[in-house]
Amino acid sequence: MELLRSRRLYGIVLIVLALITLPYWASRYWVLVMLLFSLNLALSQMWNLLAGYSGLISLGQQSFIGLGGYALGVFSIYYGFPIWLSIIIGGTVSVFFALLISAPIFRMRGVYFAIGTWTVAEVLRILFSNWKYVGYGMGLFIKPAYKLTFNTIYFTALGVGIGSVALVYFILRSKLGLGLMAIRDEETASETLGVDIFRCKLSCFLISAGVTGVVSGVLYLHNIFIQPYSAFGIDWTIRLVFITIIGGIGTIEGPIIGSLLYVFLHQWLSEFPSVSLLILGSIAIFVILVAPKGIMGTIQEKLGVEILSPRRK
Amino acid sequence: MHGIERGSGSLSGDGGRVGGIPLLRVQHIDAYYGDFHALWDVSLEVGESLVVSIIGANGAGKSTLLNTIAGVLSPSKGTIEFHGKRINGLMPYQTVAEGISMVPEGRRMFPRLTVLENLEMGCYIPKARKRKNEVLQKIYELFPILEERKNQLSSTLSGGEQQMLAIGRALMCEPKLILFDEISLGLAPLVIKNIYQRVKQINMEGITALLVEQDIQRSLKAAHKFYIMQSGRIRLEGRPGELSQEDIRKAYFGL
Amino acid sequence: MLSILSDLKGPIMNGLLLGGLYGIVGIGMSMIFGIVRLVNLAHGDLIILASYLSLVTMTFFPVSPLFTLIIVIPVMCLIGFVVQYYLLNQVLGKGMNPPLLIAFGLSIILQNLLMLIFTPDARTLLTSISVKTIPLGSFLNIPLVYLVDFICSLIAIVLLSRFFNRTYMGKAIRAASDDEGAAQLMGINTKTIYAVAMALASGTAAIAGILVGMTFTFYPHTGPEYLIISFGVVIIGGLGSLLGTFLGGLILGLSQILGAHFLGPGFQLLSGYLILLIVLTFKPTGLFAKG
Repeated sequence: MELLRSRRLYGIVLIVLALITLPYWASRYWVLVMLLFSLNLALSQMWNLLAGYSGLISLGQQSFIGLGGYALGVFSIYYGFPIWLSIIIGGTVSVFFALLISAPIFRMRGVYFAIGTWTVAEVLRILFSNWKYVGYGMGLFIKPAYKLTFNTIYFTALGVGIGSVALVYFILRSKLGLGLMAIRDEETASETLGVDIFRCKLSCFLISAGVTGVVSGVLYLHNIFIQPYSAFGIDWTIRLVFITIIGGIGTIEGPIIGSLLYVFLHQWLSEFPSVSLLILGSIAIFVILVAPKGIMGTIQEKLGVEILSPRRK
Repeated sequence: MHGIERGSGSLSGDGGRVGGIPLLRVQHIDAYYGDFHALWDVSLEVGESLVVSIIGANGAGKSTLLNTIAGVLSPSKGTIEFHGKRINGLMPYQTVAEGISMVPEGRRMFPRLTVLENLEMGCYIPKARKRKNEVLQKIYELFPILEERKNQLSSTLSGGEQQMLAIGRALMCEPKLILFDEISLGLAPLVIKNIYQRVKQINMEGITALLVEQDIQRSLKAAHKFYIMQSGRIRLEGRPGELSQEDIRKAYFGL
Repeated sequence: MLSILSDLKGPIMNGLLLGGLYGIVGIGMSMIFGIVRLVNLAHGDLIILASYLSLVTMTFFPVSPLFTLIIVIPVMCLIGFVVQYYLLNQVLGKGMNPPLLIAFGLSIILQNLLMLIFTPDARTLLTSISVKTIPLGSFLNIPLVYLVDFICSLIAIVLLSRFFNRTYMGKAIRAASDDEGAAQLMGINTKTIYAVAMALASGTAAIAGILVGMTFTFYPHTGPEYLIISFGVVIIGGLGSLLGTFLGGLILGLSQILGAHFLGPGFQLLSGYLILLIVLTFKPTGLFAKG
């Protein structure tokens, strides 16, 4: 067992090293692919934290994507803040906004919660579209981001991607994590055992909001242009849902596999974005019907294999 | 199609065997609720126009047996024959078409439908729809209170009235066999007596009844034949008066 | 005071009429949510699919959009039946999430399919009705198409109501939603019944789609907009009541138009969303919920 664990550890270290050194031995195309992979990974880890572990199916993560991106834009352009600071502010704003809406939102259960979070995002979309300060619906060009090199953005994205996986791993090993695993497996029973469900879910909600806000900042460093229609659009969440479902909801490895699949599919069919979404949707339906635990979940079930298991042995 | 007509079964011997075959024949069935092995090698026979009781404590498997006959569960082993035809494996909505109706445990009203609408659901199958009005009249004669309350929501009825509605509903499709699952549950003794009188009336019209009941005395009074179940098995069978109280008690508790 | 009210009579009228349209938009969602206990996240896209189907039909038969109902309704009913019977029935009873996610997947597939076939151009079901206004009394002019929408919605809802209260199949659907097991004991094949309910809901989506197409422009991605409207209508009006859903539509329509009147056209949708959020927070079962 020990040997297997250290082999696994070496494997992970090797992969991470390869990713860190990627710009020096791979083409720009592949660096771009891994950049997008890292960002999608981070975002879907956060969605997974909510849906897979806290039982909160949120269709409103795009609220924080929009807020994070706009924070980057507003603070770096209008106030001249350094970029890293603007990104952190984006995360902070997201957390505060999440806290603000948590009171009404957490009164909603199940599908009501899903639609509620979606509606909040749509409200933000309309507000930002009609706000002179941020350029109405025409959006902002995040000029300060031009200064950064492509590689810098890649490393930041990679850091965020790996960081998100580490974050989830350590959350699950913490006390919060124990509570979450109990909730995931049997919610009502865990309540009788003293798990403060509301606290757990709220913590996850806030964490995922903050991290999503930060990731969004990095994302818009790459995208440069932000406008309300796409920033607060449901498209983001659609991607995250499919990535997590196909990869394996409720597992750490799930979003990794799902993000890889998504990014490759997307790049392969970059001329035909509609087709890639069509295929993604069909795969998702197929997965739900045939292997509802996703790729990783099914592997775990059938073969008992876990690569990044937060379980204490 | 059988109407509610005078039954032809005699009450002597094994009674009601048409051409030598009992109306319902369950042979060596096993059944599972998920992983739980609920019925073990259960066999019984119900002769036409008889009232047969299944007695047993809570958890003995009586309801499971009825559910298996009705098609809610499928037996993993063994056969169930009705009128000589194999019915194990049929879905519940198919056994109704064969002529088996169930009064489920807990009544299971459609709370948002009226009394009349509940009854109408009882004759949902196409064969029964044509005779709805005739049969409805007979039900109203049997249970006048249902006619009185016909446009009320079924959830507003009292326990006893709901039980009558459940029975009336089961009668609407003019079944040959009715499965009664714990009809005395939660009802006052006088109401129970009333209901069992109606059950007897129904049987006098020729309809066969398979009754599940926890109350031993009530069961024995109503039945021509009984089975005692314990832990998913049939322990004893006999006719009221044939067996001693001691034997019955032993079988009931599995001693 | 009076002058304020007389200023408002236009918006109020328009709001109510629009609300009629919203009513028929939401009815399908209300049925499925109330009966099969499933939130059909693809409902909005089904409505838009109907709009496109009508468009296609009109290229073959140069008739007014309302006549295309003859073809579009049966086609949509068939689609709904097939989707429920072969897809959604497989995951009923496996928890809240799988049906939700399958519907989500369908929504995405539909949108992108429409995108590929019809391109992202804005479309509309043009008809002479769409641009006329008619006078109501001597003091009000209303868009004719709004009136047609309202009347069609009302007729559809009344017919649906009769179906559920007077026919065996309608009562069976209600029974199955009350107690599936007991319904089976009555001889009701609940799998088929659910598929029929979905077929009906898709039929109402067909009507809604054509009315929507006549009244507004639509794109492949318009679906989610009407999904949120349906949800709003259902939540505001309450589950289990056709009339409630219709009233919910009226309230939503009214709040949207009044919101636009007071805050500006960009805030029309916002007012609707805010009302929805408020009701979700305080009374998610809806204002007129039954039982």
